[in-house]
Amino acid sequence: MSRHNTETVSNVDRDEGLNLAATTCPNREDRASGINVFYGKASQLVEDAKAGRLRNHEREFQQSSGCPLNFYLAVRVTTIREAVTIFHAPIGCSSSALGYRELYRGIPNSLGRPDFDVRWLTTNLNADDVVFGAGEKLRHAILEAQERYSPKAIFILASCTSGIIGEDLEGVIASVQDTVGAKLIPVHCEGVRSRLMQTGYDAFWHGVLKHLVRKTGKKKQPDLVNVASMLSYCWQDRLEVTRLLGKLGLRPNFVPEFATVGDFEQLSEAAVTAPLCPTYTDYLSRGLWQEHGVPFFMYPSPMGIENTDNWLREIARHTGKLDVVEKVIAEEHEVWVPRLHAIREQLEGFKGDGTKMSILGSLGQGRLLAQMPFFHELGLNPAAAITQDFDNLILDEVDNLVKERGDFEILVNTFQAAEQSHLTRKLDPDLTLTCPFQGPAFKRMKAATRIHSLRGDPMEISAQSGYAGAIAFGEFILRALRSPGFHQTFYKKTADSYKPWFYEQPDPLYFVPGKEAQEADAH
Amino acid sequence: MPIEARLSDIKEAPRTSCALGGALGSMLGLYGGVPILHSGAGCGLGQQFGLTYAAGQNSAGGQGTTNTPCSSLVEEHVIFGGEDKLRKLIRSSIKLMEGEFFAVISGCIPSIIGDDVDAVVKEFRQQAPLVHVKAPGFIGNSYEGYELLLEAVADQLLEPQPVRKNQINILGVVPFQHLFWKGDLAILKRTFAAFGIEANIIFTEFGALDRLREITAAELNVVVSPWVGHRVAAKLEAKFGTPFLTAPGVPIGGEQTSRLVRRVAERLGLNQEKVERVIAREERHAYRSAEYYGDAIMLGAPHALFAVAADSGTAVGLTQFLTNEVGYVPDLAIVTDDAPESAHEGIRRGLTEGLISAVKPELVFEADAHKIRQKLKGRAFLFLFASSLEKHIAGPEFNAIPITVSFPSFDRLIIDRSYAGFRGGLTVMEEMVSTCTGPL
Repeated sequence: MSRHNTETVSNVDRDEGLNLAATTCPNREDRASGINVFYGKASQLVEDAKAGRLRNHEREFQQSSGCPLNFYLAVRVTTIREAVTIFHAPIGCSSSALGYRELYRGIPNSLGRPDFDVRWLTTNLNADDVVFGAGEKLRHAILEAQERYSPKAIFILASCTSGIIGEDLEGVIASVQDTVGAKLIPVHCEGVRSRLMQTGYDAFWHGVLKHLVRKTGKKKQPDLVNVASMLSYCWQDRLEVTRLLGKLGLRPNFVPEFATVGDFEQLSEAAVTAPLCPTYTDYLSRGLWQEHGVPFFMYPSPMGIENTDNWLREIARHTGKLDVVEKVIAEEHEVWVPRLHAIREQLEGFKGDGTKMSILGSLGQGRLLAQMPFFHELGLNPAAAITQDFDNLILDEVDNLVKERGDFEILVNTFQAAEQSHLTRKLDPDLTLTCPFQGPAFKRMKAATRIHSLRGDPMEISAQSGYAGAIAFGEFILRALRSPGFHQTFYKKTADSYKPWFYEQPDPLYFVPGKEAQEADAH
Repeated sequence: MPIEARLSDIKEAPRTSCALGGALGSMLGLYGGVPILHSGAGCGLGQQFGLTYAAGQNSAGGQGTTNTPCSSLVEEHVIFGGEDKLRKLIRSSIKLMEGEFFAVISGCIPSIIGDDVDAVVKEFRQQAPLVHVKAPGFIGNSYEGYELLLEAVADQLLEPQPVRKNQINILGVVPFQHLFWKGDLAILKRTFAAFGIEANIIFTEFGALDRLREITAAELNVVVSPWVGHRVAAKLEAKFGTPFLTAPGVPIGGEQTSRLVRRVAERLGLNQEKVERVIAREERHAYRSAEYYGDAIMLGAPHALFAVAADSGTAVGLTQFLTNEVGYVPDLAIVTDDAPESAHEGIRRGLTEGLISAVKPELVFEADAHKIRQKLKGRAFLFLFASSLEKHIAGPEFNAIPITVSFPSFDRLIIDRSYAGFRGGLTVMEEMVSTCTGPL
């Protein structure tokens, strides 16, 4: 367990620390040598990373994949209660947040959804603003937000345009902070600043740590556990995490979705910060440790039985619950493990030839770490994975994954639909986890289903976290294998997006120049 | 622009994406069209939630969302320029993507840093049908993007050709932004076909390149919006001599549809007697069907007050239909699409003149979701025809029943659904009555 504890975490030198005096965080490229171009064996990826050989090659063919602002940051920040979000941007940068009044409304009150109202404004930058600057507009928008809603916090999200024309967010905020009641939090999520969307989340946490988390007083809440979650958890996951922590006598402090401003303020008072997704939570966890002494751990996330066991143990270690945690785990095992075995038996026998079902998942970094062992637990063979990006923050964990579970192929790309479709055809796994918005990879005769649902989904079949989630996901996979009508119909009846010659090439990274050299290294 | 005017641009949740989003959505509406974004990496993906899901939970199709080629510009391109990256992207896109017509849509970044996109695009003119649409987000909204795409097509692709008798183009229906674009265009095509008029609806039909090239073969452009598509129509008239007429919106129900058909038929010089015969036939069947909702309305919910908070064309069409054909009382009309000042008078006429009602609706032009919400409070209307932004607040705050008819719509799947044409009013009634029906 030693690699899991807080003293040994990290490939980032903790002595360097986070510089919260700075306007914003460093990019993931700089902070953790992040990349989003690689195809080869995971062992090679680890070796290259350790040797500092990973490079972010420029693709000659690239597809729209998200930026620090519009990789769902917009749809997440706008859900924060008692707050207003201001997009200092042209009108289109915020249109993804138009669902704000509906997000979570499908969750019945009986499942614990409180009443809420969220709001956002855009400064709607126009051609004149680009020429003359729009500081006055931003100031006005802040005052307007204050007058309309008297919020406790106002998040101000930067954009490519505000960044390139040199808008001084900090200056505007300083000029108006004393006249408004809300805490003003700049988020430097300019799309143009980084190739890695995780930079946007780091920028958000930077703003939260610097401007929102309560600094004064040493009050601790020994039963409070910070749970910063990724986009891809849903309401049942939240209920399961709450249930499990409740059995330990602990309370979750969920951020950012749907959290109140107070939930953010009290992040500094928690006993521990626990990950649902380490790569997403990383900056917050480090910041809370550095500034407020809140311990954290990076691994594992509560996905699958064994991961959940160890997640609970880590939390228990930091909250003085080691005496009860084994009892809780044993109780849970009694309920859930037989069901896992039943699912595993069905999955292992599914092909009928004694071999395991191969599965290809399109995952984030965090899911890569959490889900690969979980797939093994389910009796599936995760021979390959696609991950959004890769950085040194998870280097040791991937190294361990390879050592413990064996090598696997890995394609690192951020939503590159053509590459994903190529790899899916090439490997032809028994089951692939994807969605139509990720390109035509789902159009196939073998099984395909989604990797996860999203936040507002209250259905039990969509759960993935904790013990209940492990079973729900296992059953979901079984259901997917038995109901291929949808993706088979699309395969037979609709066109592909890419020309056939592409699928005949050996390498999904066909359009990455200099790939030949990289390949020579890899094989 | 004076600073006061710029300040008034600050809006809560305006109901549109940007010019790039509108141009991209329009390209996705062309079957065989391939958009190539010269922009930041999020400009396409952002339209997943912000344009296509918002347009009735639509997936974007094989050229949209993460399929869309994108130069994905970052800081080094801001410093050194993005032209070389774009050149490689266009080359590889033509090689890889299934499609027959390409449009490079350049966004905020290249427009600010001054990339010479036209020059790069020109290098590929011989290799594939290709246009450049300069559509930075800061220049306007989705409606602007639609105009910019079609203007680029008119300037860079279209050639003059002999006019084909009784052929028209339908303009003013913006893919995705107009929620019922697919169904409305199909219905309009079918409606005109009954009169021997061949309508080129451009979008939603395979063979995008031919659909576009045929634009100049039309005898008349028919613009079904009080302001959208007018600029394109004017350009087509100036450049190719195609005249145009405009309708205040997509026609809903027999009255509006007959009116539009008569105007178009007259301009095309069709035999009036024959036209009236077809109108009578179409209306007879539509109104025979209308008898089925007779009791549900007259016994169940007669003379109800209603409000619309929608884009201008939808607001006009629904207000006229519900007032003149259902006997409902127009309480309030909020026009939410930020229509230009020059279009306000025409919209006002559409919403207040020719109504068979002693009550005229209060008319408000407002694009700010918060101000719209305040305006809707304290009224007596029973039905609210608006966007899904109003769905969850309509009951508790306005004591009204919401029906989503205008962008954004996250609360329904919209594919073939349409309120257009002789039978379109029947669909409006099905949806409206279904929200409140029970034992009579």
